[in-house]
Amino acid sequence: MPELALLVVACGLATYLWRGLGMLVSGRVSMDSEFFVWAGCVAYALIAGLAVRILLLPTGTLAATSLSDRLFACALALVVYFVFRRNLFVGIAAGFVALVTLLATRSGF
Amino acid sequence: MRESIGVPSMVLAAGYLGFGALANGSQFPLWAALLSTVTIFALPGQLAMLEMSIAGAVPVVIVITVSLTAARFLPMTVALLPMLRSPDRVSWRLYTAVHLLAMTGWAASMRRCPELPLEQRLPWFVGFALTNWVACIVFTVIGYGLAESLPPLVRQGLVFIGPLYFVLILTGETRTRHGAVALACGAVAGPLIHLATPQWSVLLGGLIGGTLAWGLVRGMQRA
Repeated sequence: MPELALLVVACGLATYLWRGLGMLVSGRVSMDSEFFVWAGCVAYALIAGLAVRILLLPTGTLAATSLSDRLFACALALVVYFVFRRNLFVGIAAGFVALVTLLATRSGF
Repeated sequence: MRESIGVPSMVLAAGYLGFGALANGSQFPLWAALLSTVTIFALPGQLAMLEMSIAGAVPVVIVITVSLTAARFLPMTVALLPMLRSPDRVSWRLYTAVHLLAMTGWAASMRRCPELPLEQRLPWFVGFALTNWVACIVFTVIGYGLAESLPPLVRQGLVFIGPLYFVLILTGETRTRHGAVALACGAVAGPLIHLATPQWSVLLGGLIGGTLAWGLVRGMQRA
């Protein structure tokens, strides 16, 4: 337990590092450098890879749902999201309802 | 304060609701989920930390990965700071204030601050970001609690919001070519590497996918 607390706080510090560093270097370095372009790419790829991985190969609670159900609910959420002019709320709600409905049908309600 | 209760903040709240539910679904303790919202306050980093600690990744690797997801804060802080800074402002207040810097508050401040007189900008930013921060802490608890008390079907739906939130927001809000290519590379690299090495997949997926995307865009620009 103390290890977990330590880990979370260390992650918090590692996050704050960039905010604090931004204060220090503000007005002194150019933000257009290739390094920041690369760092942006890594951040995007990292979080996209993680989100898609949880959808395809979940651990925990979601592991009990089928891949086809998750993919269908996600696809529907994407369609609804774009149809409603990128309304994130409606899109998420659609995905949530779709998955719960699919699961309920399968369990024979 | 009132402005912070708008659509972007509701969206953020939905993200934290999903995070809370996901934490519950992965048997991650509530106090640790809460502590992460308080200390990290950046959803991608929190999600990476949650998934990696469940997968049993080495702590140092987790910290490095979380740090990589937060590197975007550096250019964001640099861009916002000249608007907030005034000569009579004690800098420790600014150092405290930037802890609350996250995407939603940043985007709103970049839009709103130029319209405000200098001395009102920092209070405006702090009011906005603090409201968001508190709301996110509350919604982490709500998501966690809901996932615990509701029937399994609804619980699975709530946990599903976690990844869904990012799939939608990344697909819809990524405007740059670098971002779009990086998303595609990461979406392929992340799951593939996970099959080979679950503990390292988040970090390696980001590094390999991101570097590949960066190289591809460079190649395209030269061609």
